[in-house]
Amino acid sequence: MSGGAEYSVPVGPIHAALEEPVLFNFKVDGERVVDVEVVPGQNHRGVEWMGMQRNPVQVIYLAEKICGICTVCHAYSFVRAVEHISGIESTPRADYIRAILAELERMHSHLLWAGIAAHEIGFDSLLHYTWKVRENEMDLREMITGNRVHYDMFMIGGVRRDIKQDQIPKILETLKYYKDNFEKLGKLFLQDKVIKMRTQGVGVLTKEDALKLCAVGPTARASGVPKDVRQDQPFGAYLDIPVKAITPDALTGEVHGDVYDRIIVRLLEVKQSIEIIEECLKRMPEGPILAEPNITRLLIQLKKAHGEGIGRHEAPRGEVYHYVRMDASDKVTAWKVRAPTYANVMPWVPMLKGQQIADIPIVAASTDPCMSCTDRAVVVKEGQKPYMISGEELHKMSVEKTRRMMA
Amino acid sequence: MNPEEIVEKFKSKFGAGVLDAKVQTKSGGVSKTQYHFVWMTLERPLLKDAVRFLASEWQPHLSVISGVDLGNILELTYHFTVGWGVRLGEIPVSIRIDLPKDDLTVPTITDIIPGALITEREKQEMLGIKVIGIPDARRLFVPETFPEGVYPWRKDATGVQPEHVKKLWEVGRLKLTPTGQGVAVNVEKAAAPSAPAKKENAGAN
Amino acid sequence: MKLVKSLDKSLWVFHVNSGSCNGCDIEIVAALTPRYDVERFGIKLVGSPRHADVLLVTGPVTKPMRERIKRIYDQTPDPKVVMCVGTCGSTGGVFYDSYTLDGPIDDVIPVTIYVIGCPPRPEAIIDGVVKAWAKLEELRGETKKKEGKK
Repeated sequence: MSGGAEYSVPVGPIHAALEEPVLFNFKVDGERVVDVEVVPGQNHRGVEWMGMQRNPVQVIYLAEKICGICTVCHAYSFVRAVEHISGIESTPRADYIRAILAELERMHSHLLWAGIAAHEIGFDSLLHYTWKVRENEMDLREMITGNRVHYDMFMIGGVRRDIKQDQIPKILETLKYYKDNFEKLGKLFLQDKVIKMRTQGVGVLTKEDALKLCAVGPTARASGVPKDVRQDQPFGAYLDIPVKAITPDALTGEVHGDVYDRIIVRLLEVKQSIEIIEECLKRMPEGPILAEPNITRLLIQLKKAHGEGIGRHEAPRGEVYHYVRMDASDKVTAWKVRAPTYANVMPWVPMLKGQQIADIPIVAASTDPCMSCTDRAVVVKEGQKPYMISGEELHKMSVEKTRRMMA
Repeated sequence: MNPEEIVEKFKSKFGAGVLDAKVQTKSGGVSKTQYHFVWMTLERPLLKDAVRFLASEWQPHLSVISGVDLGNILELTYHFTVGWGVRLGEIPVSIRIDLPKDDLTVPTITDIIPGALITEREKQEMLGIKVIGIPDARRLFVPETFPEGVYPWRKDATGVQPEHVKKLWEVGRLKLTPTGQGVAVNVEKAAAPSAPAKKENAGAN
Repeated sequence: MKLVKSLDKSLWVFHVNSGSCNGCDIEIVAALTPRYDVERFGIKLVGSPRHADVLLVTGPVTKPMRERIKRIYDQTPDPKVVMCVGTCGSTGGVFYDSYTLDGPIDDVIPVTIYVIGCPPRPEAIIDGVVKAWAKLEELRGETKKKEGKK
């Protein structure tokens, strides 16, 4: 098939690996990817511009809707930035509730990703199993916050709902369910021969590239970069509860930076999250959950706020960075959101180079891209005649590769 | 490493070139442990030297570049973090330069930190600055159909004007019949089955 | 609306994200997975609009996606039903004004079923799908009648 000629293959924006749109332009030689170009922008909603037309309390709800999977991290980061500017401090109890929410989100997000990754290599029964396990956690979040996905829990100076004493046994019970199932999940994802075949040595990101291209989150950690905001510059409850960044050598003693390592990091982080939540529940102080419960008074106070602040949080996908500037007016003067996928777009290039077309879905999915955060797509051109590789075909190629390897 | 040390090092290296430097300290949790942020304003020509200095002294991670329109000037802030990898060891260092509106150019830092490309491309389309030497100057997020010369983050005449904005909530307000459980059926607009001839048209796409 | 006793075929769904936040999208996938398991009724997500009976559209429609959604709508064979999932697709929701949005969905293609919520629960989505099913049966009935008259 390879005759030295290179073809260019666009993939997207209605995408194979992802639910969201992004366009990849691939140059291929036979089955091998020679070069990749990522074209985001299909999902750009101008959220930052919208935020600059609104007051800080309105922006919290907009920030949550940046992404449906990491809703906590954007709201948390924004709220922290505004708190730094205005000097309003969140109450200690709110700090703990925030950390519990953030860790619950990490568990749900990693399980969701693990399911999608299994689907990408054609292991659909594992997708269904992981998502079934994930539902218990969704129930927990619904019980605490009142909604399954967007919870609108965050407020400047605290949170809007308390965790009541009678909810704690249910939380502990669900955490126990995950601990009991963890062994099984670990065995399914890490011992399975098919998963090993499809992920080991695939989509490698070296430590040098991860540093050079500013990778964040599990993508960077799987390449041996021990970077985690909760460890490096802890905030809120993480100041009391030490967190250590997880790298794959914790389990295997080696760092390869491939897709398999990214699975290891995420699975270990689920376990870590369970431990953090338990610790939070043990140490959670009594007290109010809001520094200023009266929203009118809060808005007056915010109207006087002047200055700039940085809000950071370790989202399931990596570091979220919000920069906010307020100039004593009712609107936010400037708001810059740096979502983790934004930083993980560049590392896609070395990961995808040299891979087979059938590996594109699993490699692209391995950074857990969230384009609604960043802003997504797939098409193929052979010579001058453009044709499309649909998401379905690409997925089929990936599944067929698994079958071939098993045969 | 402490934040004052970083400021001192910059001051001894660049002297009066450091126009302003401050350390912001915050705390949280029950233990009220402190953490810090460093903010520095530098003279504009020093940007590249400062980034090079930062890269040689520490191993910085570039988080993002942010920009604000302040009327006569555009303020560009490069948000780095240094000292990661150790608990409580990391300090965000934000380096700021001011660009006058009549000369909106800035050198690229992609030769020092290749990962800066995405954020530099974004600053070009959002603020209308020109990054000299950028390896890829195309648009990133803003759609191709969006008019040239309009920069969403600008607050002057080149910013987003009312005619660029669509008010989604005003579009086609319909009378919906709620049917319970958060589901409404729009009876009038229901798709009617079309003639077989039209079907072929649809398939030709 | 009551479902008829026998159905002509199982329902195939094509899902389009027009710039949504992913919240609705994960709830759609949740509806397919074991807890809610709509696949037991033969409802499944398909990879091409040409196989679909129902289009599930989420998101407030970004400018680059507007033409694509129209194209996907044209590619879907008749009779078809469009379901708009989520508040931002129905009215813009929290994204009520922006320079890169060109929605809501019913401004681009005709929508039959609106499922409101940010995001709607999987139960609400399933309820919407049931209503789409009834609507489709009705549309098929009309087509059959017309063909019968000829």
